[in-house]
Amino acid sequence: MDFSYSPQEERFRADLRAWLADALPPGWGETVFEPEDEDERAMFRLAWERKLHSGGWSGINWPVEYGGRGATLVERAIFAEEMARVGAPEGLNIIGHNLAGSTILRHGTEAQKKYFLPRILSSEDVWCQGFSEPNAGSDLASVRTRAERRGDKFIVNGQKIWTSFAQYSQWCFALVRTDPDAPKHKGLSFLLIDMKSPGISIRPLRQISGECEFNETFFDDVEVPVDNIVGDINDGWRIAMTTLAYERGPEDALGRQIRFSQELEKLVGTVAATPRGGAKLIDDPIVRQKLARSITEVEIMRLNAVRTFSKYLNGDDRGPDASIIKLYWSHAAQNMYEAAMDILGPTAPIAAPDPLSAGGGRFQLSYLQSKAFTIYSGSSEIQRNIIGERMLGLPR
Amino acid sequence: MNFGFNEEQKSLGETVAALLADFPALTGPDPAEARDPAVWQALADLGLFALLVPEAHGGVGLTLVDVALAIEALGAGLAPPIAASTLIATDIIVRAGTAAQQASLLPRIATGELRIALAMLENGQGYDPDAVQTVMGGNGVTGSKILVPDADVADLLLVLARIDGRIGLLLVARDARGVSIRRHADIDPSSGLCEVTLDGAALMDGALVGHAGSGDVVPRLMDAAAIVYAGMAMGMAARMLDASVDYAKTRVQFGQPIGAFQSIKHRCADMAVAVEAGRSAAYYAFWTAAENDPDRSRAASMAKAYCGEVARDVCNETVQIHGGMGFTWELGLHRFLRRAKVLEHGFGNHVWHYERIMVETLAAQAVGDKAQAA
Ligand SMILES: Cc1cc2nc3c(=O)[nH]c(=O)nc-3n(C[C@H](O)[C@H](O)[C@H](O)COP(=O)(O)OP(=O)(O)OC[C@H]3O[C@@H](n4cnc5c(N)ncnc54)[C@H](O)[C@@H]3O)c2cc1C
Repeated sequence: MDFSYSPQEERFRADLRAWLADALPPGWGETVFEPEDEDERAMFRLAWERKLHSGGWSGINWPVEYGGRGATLVERAIFAEEMARVGAPEGLNIIGHNLAGSTILRHGTEAQKKYFLPRILSSEDVWCQGFSEPNAGSDLASVRTRAERRGDKFIVNGQKIWTSFAQYSQWCFALVRTDPDAPKHKGLSFLLIDMKSPGISIRPLRQISGECEFNETFFDDVEVPVDNIVGDINDGWRIAMTTLAYERGPEDALGRQIRFSQELEKLVGTVAATPRGGAKLIDDPIVRQKLARSITEVEIMRLNAVRTFSKYLNGDDRGPDASIIKLYWSHAAQNMYEAAMDILGPTAPIAAPDPLSAGGGRFQLSYLQSKAFTIYSGSSEIQRNIIGERMLGLPR
Repeated sequence: MNFGFNEEQKSLGETVAALLADFPALTGPDPAEARDPAVWQALADLGLFALLVPEAHGGVGLTLVDVALAIEALGAGLAPPIAASTLIATDIIVRAGTAAQQASLLPRIATGELRIALAMLENGQGYDPDAVQTVMGGNGVTGSKILVPDADVADLLLVLARIDGRIGLLLVARDARGVSIRRHADIDPSSGLCEVTLDGAALMDGALVGHAGSGDVVPRLMDAAAIVYAGMAMGMAARMLDASVDYAKTRVQFGQPIGAFQSIKHRCADMAVAVEAGRSAAYYAFWTAAENDPDRSRAASMAKAYCGEVARDVCNETVQIHGGMGFTWELGLHRFLRRAKVLEHGFGNHVWHYERIMVETLAAQAVGDKAQAA
C-alpha cells in the first residue's frame, strides 16, 4: 500500500494546477459563480467542459488514439482531487464521458470508436441515456420501445422517460426491444440514436427541485442506421450492464465526490460564519458532531473509489463493487444534506433567492436534489439485491 | 499510489487468523475461558511481536501497514487485548524510545518476553489525554488508572502521566513497588480490564518515553492506538457479516431461507457496504501512521469514529438476524457485542474523535484562508 505519488504523477498534478490557475474564470468561487438560470447554467458547464478539452484535460485515462490523455487511473484520481481543490464547475456531458464513452470504448466497433469517442471528449456531442420507460424502471429488462429492422435501418417506436439532459443532447444511447418473442433479457439491443432524427420529440418533466433536468422522450418511426448498434442484435442487455457498471462505479463516484466535498466545505464555512444566540453556530457540539460525521463519510467516498481503482490496477475485474460504491455514496450524500438542514436550524427552510437563505440557498436546493441519489442509477433496493445475491450469495 | 495489500501482507493476516482459529475458546461463549495464556505464546512463536521491531534489535522491521490485516485478524479472532497493546507500545518505543530503551526492550519484545499494557484513562476525566492527573514525583508515579486491558497479565505498563506539568509516557513494571491491580467487573471479562493504582510506584530505569509535553509521543500513541482499534473493529465487523450471511442462507422460515427475504438480504447488503467503507477508512489510516503522514491524526480519528460505529451496528444487526439464537449465551455472538463495546470506548469513542476531526478541519481551513489572503 502506498499513497505517495510518483514523480510522474506529481508532474501531472503540477501541470494541472498551473493550467487551472489560468483557466478558471477570474474570481471563481469568490465573486463569480455559475449562472442561476438553468439553460444558461447548462451552456456555462458545456463551455467549461470544452475548455478542459482544449487544454488536454478530457478523457484522462482514455487511449490517446481516441482523443484521450492515455494516463493512469491514479492520475484520474489526482484530476478529481485537484478539481475539488479549486471548486471547479461540473460538466454537462457527464453521461457522454462516463457512460456512452466507456461503453463504446469497451464494446463499440472500430468505426464507432473513431467517430464517437473524440466527439464525446470534446463535448461536441452531448449524450443522454434512454434506458427507463414508464413501465420499466427497476425492472429495466421490461423495456418495450420497439426497434424493427428494415434493410439497413432500424425503425424505432416507443417512449422513454426520465431522460436527463435530452434537451441538450445530440445523441442518445437506448435500450430497445428487437425480439418481442424472446425471454425479456434476450430480446434487447443497444442503439445509438441521433437526437436530430425526424420522429423524436421530448417533453420536459418538472422535478422535486423545481428544475427540468429530465424529460419524456418519444420515438415515432425514427430511423436508425444498423451501423449504430453496439454489440450484436439481441445482445443489448450485456452491453447495458457495462454502462451500469460505469454509472455506479468508482469513476462516476469520484466525480461526484468532488462536488460533495466542495459543498461540505461551503457548509463548514457558512456554519463558521453564522451567529447563533450570541455565539457561533460552529461552537454547538451537536452541529460539530454532524459536520464531522459528514466530513468522514465524504472522505470515505474518495477512499472507496481510489481503493477500487487499485483493485482494478492490481488485476481484479469490475464486479458488484460498483453497487457497493453507489449504495455508499448515495446515502452518505443524502445524509450530508439532511445534516445541513438540521444544522441550519430555524433558517433551514429559507431558500434562494431570499436574502436570508444560508449559503445562497444552495443547501436547500441540494437537499431537494439529493432525493434522487437513491433512485437513479438503480435504486438502493436494487443495489441491495445485487450485493445480497451476487456478492454475498444470498438466495433470490 | 496503490491502495492494496501485497501477498505477504495478506498472508500474514491469514496466518494470524488461522492460528487464532486453533483456539476455539477465544470466540466461544464463555468469556472466562477466553483468556488462555497459550495464545500469547503461540502468537510470539509465530513472530508477531518481532514484526514492528527493527532488524537491528532482532526484529523484522515492518510498518503498521504491513500488520494491518494481522490486526484485523486479532480483532476477528477476539485475541487477548495485550497482543494489540504490545504492538501499539512497540510502535511508540520504536518511534520515540531512547537508544537505551530500544536496546533493552525491543529484543525482548521481539521474542514475546514482554507484554505491555496501556494505562491511559482515569476515573472522571473522560478520554482527553490532557486531562490526566497521575503525576510523576520524586518518589515515583502516583495516580489511579482505570480500564487498562490485560494489566493483570502484563509485564510492563506504559503509563500516561503528568511530568513537570506536561503529559508524557512512563514505563512501570507491573510487579514494581507501589503498583496494585484490581480486576474491574465489566461488560467483556475477556478484555481483562483492570484498575491500576500507582502509589509512588517505582519507575523503570530510564522510564520516560520520549520527551514529556514536547514532540509527538502522546498524539502518536493516541493515533496508533485508535488506528489499531479501528482495524480490530473492522475484523470483528467482517466476521459478524459473514456469520449473518451464513445464517441467512441456512435458516428456513415460511418455507425459504430467511436470506431470500429482502428485509434480511438488504440488511446484509448494508452491512457489506459499511464494512467496505470502514475498511477504506482504516487502511488509509494505517498508511498515514506508517508514513507519519501529516494527515495522520485526522485519518486516525475518522477511522476510529467510523469503524467503531460500524462494528457496533453490525454486531447489533447480527444478533437481530439470528433471532432467538442470537440472544443465547451458547451461540456466543454476545462475545463480539461485548468486545465491540470495549473497542468502541477505548482511545476515544466516536463523539470524541468526531470533535477532533472538527478541530483539525477548522484549523486546516484557517490555514487555507490565511494562504489565500497572503
Ligand atoms: C433525477 C433522475 C434522473 C434520471 N435520469 C435518467 C436518465 O437519464 N435515463 C434513464 O434511462 N433513466 C433515468 N432515470 C430513471 C431511473 O433510473 C429510475 O427512476 C430508477 O431506475 C427507478 O425506476 P422507477 O422510477 O421506475 O421506480 P420503480 O422501479 O417503480 O420503483 C419504485 C420503488 O419500488 C422499489 N422496487 C422496485 N423493484 C423492487 C424490487 N425488486 N425489490 C425491492 N424494491 C423494489 C424501488 O426501489 C423504488 O423504491 C432518472 C431518475 C431520476 C430520479
